[in-house]
Amino acid sequence: MKKAEMITGIVLLVLSGLVIWGALQMPPSASFGPGAGFLPFWLGVLLTVLATILFVSAWKRPANDKEAEPVFPGKQALFAIASVLVGVAVYISLIDTLGYLVDTFLLIVFLMKVVEREKWPLTLTISVVTTGTLYVVFQVLLKITLPSSTFGF
Amino acid sequence: MLNIFDNLILGFQVATSWENILFCFIGVLIGTLIGVLPGIGPTTGIAILIPITFGMSATTAIITLAGIYYGAMYGGSTTSILINLPGESASVMTMLDGYQMAKKGRPGPALGMAALASFIAGTVAIVLLTLIAPPLASYAVSFGPPEYFALTFMGLTLVSALGGDKPLKAYISAVVGLMISCVGIDAISGVARFTMGSMSLLDGVGFIGMAIGLFAISEILVNIEEPIKQVFSDAKLGIRSLFPNLQDWKDSFGALWRGSLLGFFIGTLPGSGATLCSFIAYAVEKKLSAHPEKFGTGVIEGVAAPEGANNAAAGGAMVPLLTLGIPSGGATAVMLGALMIHGLRPGPMLFSTNPEFVWGLIASMYIGNVFLVILNMPLVGLWVKLLKVPYKVLMPLILTISATGIFATDNNVFDMWVMFFFGMVGYVMRKLDFPAAPMVLALVIGRLVEMSLRQSLTISHGDISIFFTRPISGVLTVVALLSLFSPLFRILWSRYKAPGKSLA
Repeated sequence: MKKAEMITGIVLLVLSGLVIWGALQMPPSASFGPGAGFLPFWLGVLLTVLATILFVSAWKRPANDKEAEPVFPGKQALFAIASVLVGVAVYISLIDTLGYLVDTFLLIVFLMKVVEREKWPLTLTISVVTTGTLYVVFQVLLKITLPSSTFGF
Repeated sequence: MLNIFDNLILGFQVATSWENILFCFIGVLIGTLIGVLPGIGPTTGIAILIPITFGMSATTAIITLAGIYYGAMYGGSTTSILINLPGESASVMTMLDGYQMAKKGRPGPALGMAALASFIAGTVAIVLLTLIAPPLASYAVSFGPPEYFALTFMGLTLVSALGGDKPLKAYISAVVGLMISCVGIDAISGVARFTMGSMSLLDGVGFIGMAIGLFAISEILVNIEEPIKQVFSDAKLGIRSLFPNLQDWKDSFGALWRGSLLGFFIGTLPGSGATLCSFIAYAVEKKLSAHPEKFGTGVIEGVAAPEGANNAAAGGAMVPLLTLGIPSGGATAVMLGALMIHGLRPGPMLFSTNPEFVWGLIASMYIGNVFLVILNMPLVGLWVKLLKVPYKVLMPLILTISATGIFATDNNVFDMWVMFFFGMVGYVMRKLDFPAAPMVLALVIGRLVEMSLRQSLTISHGDISIFFTRPISGVLTVVALLSLFSPLFRILWSRYKAPGKSLA
C-alpha cells in the first residue's frame, strides 16, 4: 500500500499540473467576475496540496509487513480481469460492425466460456436468452435503435 | 398541517395510477432481488437501471428507482440471517444476531422481525419525511447563489469526511470529481474546457457512464478477482413460523422506535448512509440493554434495531435529496443524477414547481412498503432459492445490461467507452481504498457548485467574505469547514489522549 500510494500521489500531481496548465490557457472573463479557468485552477492547486500530503504521509510511514502486502492480485486473477476488459473493449469496438445481436451474443459466450469456463449448454442458453431479452426490452419495448450490421440485424 | 394532508391526497392520486403502482411494484421487486443477491448493491442496481426508465414520465421513473433503493434494504437482511453473508453493506449488523437466531433454530422469527421492523421503521420514516420536508423546503426557497454554494460545499465535505475512514482519499476523490465536472463547454462563458478536441466531450463526461463504470463494472472486476462463495440454506420456512411471538415483540419494542428515529435523523445527514445508521442503532441498543452480554448470541432486538435503522435511513436520505438537492451518499447521488436527466431541477423549488412529483413519490413509498412486507414475508422461500443463481450467470448479465443501457442513454458508443474507462479507474480506486461516492456526487453537483461560486463572487466583486456574512450561508460554510478539518481534530484528540505515542 505504501508504494502504491506514493505512485498514486505522483500520478495525481501530474494530473493537477496538467489541469493548472490547462486552466491558465483559458481566456479570462470578458466581463467582471471569475472566468472559465477560475475553478479548474483552484481545484488544481487543491489537488496538488492533497496529493503532496498523500505522498509524504505514505513515504514517512514505517515499512512493515502489512504495508509490503501487494495491493493488486496475483497473475491468475489479473489475467481473468484483463480478459474481461479486453472482451468488453472488443465488444464496444465491433458493435457498429457486427450489430447488437451478434456482438452481444459473442460477448456473453466469451465471458461464460472463456473467462468462467462454463459448460456449452448453459453458456449457449444464457447467451441466447439474455441477448434476446435485452433486444426485446430495448429495441421493441423502449424503441431504442440499437446498432445493426450491414445485413440489417 | 391541513396543507400537508391535501398534498398527501394529491400524492396518492398520482401514486395510485395503474402505471405508478405497477412500476412501484417492479421497483421494490428488483430492489429485493438486488438486496438478496450478493455481489450487486443498491447503488449499482439503480445506476444500471436508470436507462430503462427513460421512456417513463419523471415521476414514474423516480418512483421505480426509489423502490429499488428502499427495497434493497429489505432484501439484504435475508442472506444476512440465513447464510451469514450480507446482501448489501447496510445489513452487516443484522448478521450478528440474525444468523445466531437461525443457527438456534429460529430463522423464521428473525426473518419475520427483519421484514416487520423494516416495514414499521420505513413507515415511520415516511411520516417524518411528510412532516419535515415541506417546511424545510419553503425555508430553503429564499436561497441565493452564496447559500447554494455553501450548501453544495457542505454536502461534499460531509460526504467525504463522514463517508469512510480515509478522509484524505475521499477529498481527493471529490476534487477529481469536480475536475471531471469542468470538462465540456463552460455554461457561463461558452469556452470549451479540457475536451482535447473531442466532439463527444463538449457536453461533458456522461454521468451514467461514469456511475456505472465506477460502481457496476468495478464491482464485477473485484468479484472476478475474489469469487463469491456460494452458500445455501436448507431452512424450512412456513409462513406461520415467520411471525415473532409476543415475547419477541416486547423485547423489540424499544429497539424498533429507537432504531426508527435514529435511522431517520442520522440518515438525513449527508454522508451518513444506511450502513452507519445500522451500526449506531445496534451499538445504542447494546448499551441500553439490561443484558448487553447476550448481544451477538441471537437476541431479537439485535435484528430489529439495525433493520429498522437502515430502512428509516433510506427515508431520511430523501429529505436532503428532495428539499435541498443534496444527496447523502452513493445511491442517492445516482438518483439525483437520474432526476436531472428527467429534466427536474432538484432543490427547494421542487415542492412548489412539481408538487405532483414530490408528493407522488412520497405516497408511493407508503404503498411500496406494503408491497415489500408482502414480498418478504410469504415469498421469502423463493428469494432463498434465488441464491442458487451462480455469479457466473449474473456477471455477464450485469455487464450486458450496463452496456446496453449506456448505449440507450444517448444512442452513443462513446458513452460505452466512458463506462469502460471509469470501470478501470473504479477498480484501481477500490484496490487503493479511494471511495467512489464523493467522485460521483462531485460530478452530479459540480455544475451547481461552479455556477453558484462564480455568481457569488461576481455579486461580491471577488470578495470571499460573502460566504460568511450572510447568516444562512455563514452557518453552512462554518459547518462545511468544521467537517473538512474534522479528521485533523480527530488526530489532535488522539494525540492529546495518548501522549508520547506516535501516530500510526
